[in-house]
Amino acid sequence: MRTPAPKTPPQQPAMQEPDEFDRLYRDHVDLIYRYAHRLCGESESAKDLVQETFLNAYQGLKDFRGEARVSTWLYTIASRACIRMRRKRKGEPDHELSLEEFVPTSEGEFRLQIPIDGLSPEEALQNKELRQALDQAIEKLPQKYRIALVLRDMEGLSAKEVGTIMGLNERAVKSRLHRARLFVRRELSARGITHHDDHKSGGLRS
Amino acid sequence: MTKKKTAAAKKMSKPSSHGHAHGQGNCVDLLRQLSAYIDDELPSAICREIRRHLGACPNCEVFIASLQHTVTLCRYRPAPQLTSVERVNMRRAILDAANAR
Repeated sequence: MRTPAPKTPPQQPAMQEPDEFDRLYRDHVDLIYRYAHRLCGESESAKDLVQETFLNAYQGLKDFRGEARVSTWLYTIASRACIRMRRKRKGEPDHELSLEEFVPTSEGEFRLQIPIDGLSPEEALQNKELRQALDQAIEKLPQKYRIALVLRDMEGLSAKEVGTIMGLNERAVKSRLHRARLFVRRELSARGITHHDDHKSGGLRS
Repeated sequence: MTKKKTAAAKKMSKPSSHGHAHGQGNCVDLLRQLSAYIDDELPSAICREIRRHLGACPNCEVFIASLQHTVTLCRYRPAPQLTSVERVNMRRAILDAANAR
């Protein structure tokens, strides 16, 4: 049962630190949405994850002692929430990736079968098919590898920061990151993407 | 740790025994270190050995370039942004949920 809070108007629910939460939300919601979208691969799940993250942050704000950077704290909450939410939805355990499975066995597997030669990364990524291939490869990664790759290679955090967020030492982070990169590389090398010039025509055709 | 890397580098410095039989020990040793190489985290002596190996092994050179491309694409992949309406709506939903708990 909800406790009445007579001094607080209905639109302004009773809070421990409303200004503090608003500041936290205002300064970090874009960061956490970007992270959530990269983890979830689509908008609705990303919004759910952002809400769950800030709800947990709201409830934990009074206990936050500033031992880590605020962004690190929020990344940690978001990563844990993502694991919980995905487990509920899919129920499948993460599988391990071994290095041996990434050793190419045929000539064609050595190079990326995607048209990026001579293009800047921005130009290459205007190719919708390439963007989709990259997103699908990341989506297919087992979760613990995906979190490491997104935090390190997409969010640009250091291995040490990723370790703090994931509760791992740097060596373990680097090991996961390496396998994640090899996985995505293999997925991209298996795709026969042939549209070289999508960027010249606006890049929206598939 | 250093000993292990040195041993791996020694193996890699023999392209004749390597022979591009990927799947055998030498190439797995190389494979193990590629991210550290890309991230510039290896001692210079190991990097020199790897470069020497890559110079003698076109397939390994192509492989490491493709891994580098993969990392670059991840770095540059843009992410969508929230609209101001979405930001406001989410804030309200979070506070409503917090109040309801």
